[in-house]
Amino acid sequence: MSYLAGKELRIIGFLCNWCSYGGADTAGVARFKQPTDLRIIRVPCSGRVNPLFVVKALLNGADGVLVSGCHPRDCHYSEGNFYARRRLEMLKRLLPFLGIDERRFHYTWVSASEGARWQKVVTDFTKIIHELGPLHPKKESTE
Amino acid sequence: MSIERLREAVKKILPEVDVVIGYRQGFDPLHATPYFISQPEQVDQLIWNPLCVQNLCSYLPFLKGKVGVIVKGCDSRTIVQYMQEKLIEREKIKVIGVPCLQVISVKKVMAKIDYQVAEEVAFEGENVIVKTPKETKTIPLAEVMPRKCLTCQLATPLQYDILAGEAIQANKPAEAFEEIKEFEQLSLEERRRYWEREFDRCIRCYACRNACPMCICQDRCVAESRDPHWTSQRANLTEKFMFHMIHSVHLAGRCVGCGECERVCPMDIPVAKIKKKISMDLKELFDYQAGINPDDLPPMYTFKVEEAKIKEHEL
Amino acid sequence: MRVGVFICHCGNNIAGTVEVAKVAEEARKMPGVAFATTYMYTCSEPGQEEIKAAIAREKLDRVVVAACSPRMHELTFRRTVEKAGLNRYFFEMANIREHCSWIGEDKELNTNKAIEAVKIAVEKVKQNKPLFPSRFKINKRVLVIGGGVAGMQAALDCADGGLEVVLVEKSPSLGGMMARLDKTFPTVDCSICILGPKMVDVSQHEKITLYAYSEIEEIKGYVGNYQIKIRKKATYVDWSKCTGCGACVEKCPSRNAYDYFNFGVAPCRAINIPFPQAIPKKAKIDPKFCRQFTKGKCGVCAKICPVGAINYEMQDEIVSEEVGAIIVASGYGLIDLDKLPEYGGGRYPDVISGIQYERILNASGPTAGHIVRPSDHTEPKTIVFVSCAGSRDKSIGIPYCSNFCCMYIAKQAILTKDHIPDSQCYVFYMDIRSPGKGYDEFTRRAQEEYGVKYIRGRVSRIYPKGKKLVVKGADTLLGTQVEVEADLVVLATAVIAAPDARILAEKLHISYDPYGFYVESHPKLRPVETNTSGVFLAGACQGPKDIPASVGQGSAAAAKVLSMFSKDTLESDPQIARVNQNICVGCRKCIRTCPFGAIEEQELRDGRIVAKVIETVCAGCGICNSTCPCGAIQLQHFTDNQLLAEVNALCLT
Repeated sequence: MSYLAGKELRIIGFLCNWCSYGGADTAGVARFKQPTDLRIIRVPCSGRVNPLFVVKALLNGADGVLVSGCHPRDCHYSEGNFYARRRLEMLKRLLPFLGIDERRFHYTWVSASEGARWQKVVTDFTKIIHELGPLHPKKESTE
Repeated sequence: MSIERLREAVKKILPEVDVVIGYRQGFDPLHATPYFISQPEQVDQLIWNPLCVQNLCSYLPFLKGKVGVIVKGCDSRTIVQYMQEKLIEREKIKVIGVPCLQVISVKKVMAKIDYQVAEEVAFEGENVIVKTPKETKTIPLAEVMPRKCLTCQLATPLQYDILAGEAIQANKPAEAFEEIKEFEQLSLEERRRYWEREFDRCIRCYACRNACPMCICQDRCVAESRDPHWTSQRANLTEKFMFHMIHSVHLAGRCVGCGECERVCPMDIPVAKIKKKISMDLKELFDYQAGINPDDLPPMYTFKVEEAKIKEHEL
Repeated sequence: MRVGVFICHCGNNIAGTVEVAKVAEEARKMPGVAFATTYMYTCSEPGQEEIKAAIAREKLDRVVVAACSPRMHELTFRRTVEKAGLNRYFFEMANIREHCSWIGEDKELNTNKAIEAVKIAVEKVKQNKPLFPSRFKINKRVLVIGGGVAGMQAALDCADGGLEVVLVEKSPSLGGMMARLDKTFPTVDCSICILGPKMVDVSQHEKITLYAYSEIEEIKGYVGNYQIKIRKKATYVDWSKCTGCGACVEKCPSRNAYDYFNFGVAPCRAINIPFPQAIPKKAKIDPKFCRQFTKGKCGVCAKICPVGAINYEMQDEIVSEEVGAIIVASGYGLIDLDKLPEYGGGRYPDVISGIQYERILNASGPTAGHIVRPSDHTEPKTIVFVSCAGSRDKSIGIPYCSNFCCMYIAKQAILTKDHIPDSQCYVFYMDIRSPGKGYDEFTRRAQEEYGVKYIRGRVSRIYPKGKKLVVKGADTLLGTQVEVEADLVVLATAVIAAPDARILAEKLHISYDPYGFYVESHPKLRPVETNTSGVFLAGACQGPKDIPASVGQGSAAAAKVLSMFSKDTLESDPQIARVNQNICVGCRKCIRTCPFGAIEEQELRDGRIVAKVIETVCAGCGICNSTCPCGAIQLQHFTDNQLLAEVNALCLT
């Protein structure tokens, strides 16, 4: 069953377990309303996010991808988000070269206490993706 | 630089190494081929001319023992990058540097001679003279220069133990990534259609990957693996695009611009363009160029706590 | 494969906006799912029993629970499935509460989202592999870095608990900052008198090996098995012979050496014993000021020394120790006076820092306890204290409060009145922070009994006027500007991280915050642990704090170590990286990017070099996994295939 056509777009988020996933939980606990499009994949650290995961998602049906980790210097594993920052910045600049709007990929840093900020990130990003529309207008056949 | 001088240099280091990698005549007059010399008698077959396009350094990470290798300026960046990544032990390599102002692109020559069979090839002055069944064509070397030679700053190699010739100055303008900037003037849709068209021709032969000196995973490449299963063997655009993304992202900050990938592609896909775009971005972000300084760290494998050029993105 | 899916109502928390029955219905259709049901409160005891019963009855081999956040109950349910006989890693949670039912109201959209959350959890759990923690032996010795009050307390508690302790102190003597204090608040106890016995206990304890004037050179290994290299710095005096008689100090002709212990209040001799109660009480030569070193001729101390302990040829020595745990108690630093030029810091000799004033007050200090102005050695009558000199100031990058300055200013003002009965002290303050036991009563005493004038306002400028210093500030309670002509100004300089804190942190693989203070595991619940297992924190290195807090943390860190060592082996978390050595090409990128040094090279029998994960050090971040070009190193439980299964479940279908 795919996302509700006409109502939602496919937005995937890679969230680090210690900060951003906690931030999303905090937003939930505080009942901060958000659009429903986002589907979250939990990773231990933003450093675990190989830029190719973002590419895989975008090429295979995602309309937008979000990566969120701890603020630089606060990484639970000391350095993961430093690597993530470099690699994801490289990817963000590469995507438009290949014809994919760079606004479809966003990486940010949200700590476990920033529930309100998470609400804003999700709401704003979802809005932008809806403005951009689907990335793959026709469902591509896999054969 | 004379061929004699090169052969002298090879004979000189041969006793100190197990093998010297150079070039000899290939399967047809328009091709040179890598040549593994272990005996002095073999040295006479060594050649040096603008057909010597292959990057011979690609063999180095896989050869044990002491190895000699002939490098042009562009190839020497590979050696430096290997030193940065500690993929070779520099003391075990004897580098014979050869000053070079350009090689030729066989694809361009073939276009000039109407894809006739080349029966004889000679180099005279600033021209290459190709004899085909149809005609004998004199082609100015400058007209069949591969793209990488147009902005080459390394007429004399960066690394060498012996220089087989006089050191020469580069005579080309520095890389300004004009090609990339021009491409970025196209609309997003145009760019997307361009790459979809180009990648659609890909036959997953992996020649680009195999020719790349920095791709050392060889038979363990993730593009052909089920564990992890990043891309399937389905022959559709998505999987082809994915393969090229894997290759390019793995080369981010490591591509030394030797152009081998594009040279060997049987489908003439401009694969080097993507790597050049990434190199351009990394130069701007981290002031880094691959294969220049052996003490550098490739930018994707290091970090700074404060990144001067990376600003936090607002939505 | 038979996956069981359990959708939790969580009362109305989930069922209120998600049609749980529909989610279960759709789950049953998912490939690999053999059983799906809903339950009111899955985490409750009957809920867990239900899961165990279903596993047995339906012969399930993997379980998905769709409920609250895994950060809440993953551990709970892992134990449940383990009790039912499954490996605990054959379990996944789908977050349909915090990330779904609580943040949306549209039932159709929420239900759909919940179904997809279940789908990706099912696809992930199908890729999960059983993981087994391994056990490894530990070396029950502990390294304590720092011989201040926190470090000494930690060392004593560990040693009294039966452990062998290696204590490394950077300066020539134990004691840290507390040894420099004259008296301590709020009891006005003589600082060295209460600290001295602890110092003696440490030096005499049979289980404590003390390396004074030594620093940590290198740390290798992992929790339970560290190999430490310690640099014993050259003192140029053979401490096995030196008796601390002080004859050398008396006769040393070089009198202008910088006195580190006294924070430069007055110069000292090039050969020096830091303070009378120093332990070890041994002399040390500062080669920067010693004439034998700078000019090549003197040798007076060598001639004078009755036991021939002087050795100008001494070199640094590297010694090795092996320990199982590390307690970091490296203390703090203070901001330089010349960072406060608007207060005349670094410009006027009579503007000094709190610690310098403490040394002046101290009877064994450079002025023998007589309060004198550094400029002309006369006795000051009007002394002005400036609180928050540097602290709580965003503009110089120190937005935090330094914790104890309010208290020591009150103490120093009280002592000043005791020393000089006709003196008048003024304190310019923003707030008075006196939270501890007896603290507020103490600051009140300063005002009421000792007549210290507290002025609520900041100082804007201090400038000389004749022999005095004009302190210009505001009195916000009266709403006026104030000028005080002071003889001596004491600035409560801000607490900063110790000078080499960042370098030490990198050797230990622990993180530090933007100010250089070490980061604890959890600011509320785990203040003495770090995210690097085996390394614990105590004292001001973790953040500015006073003596009782430091002592408390010293004991807390020791308790953590003792409890860690209460078993003979430690269990390692199996959610760590593992190398498939058949695929590894030996490029070593993983080794270079690992923040913990958890990966090493291994030479295989055929001569190939491949990577190998040191299981006990790996923290499970996965940087290596995303760095590895060939996918040889995989973070277990978050492997590429497992994450790709989730991506593919969302995108390809």
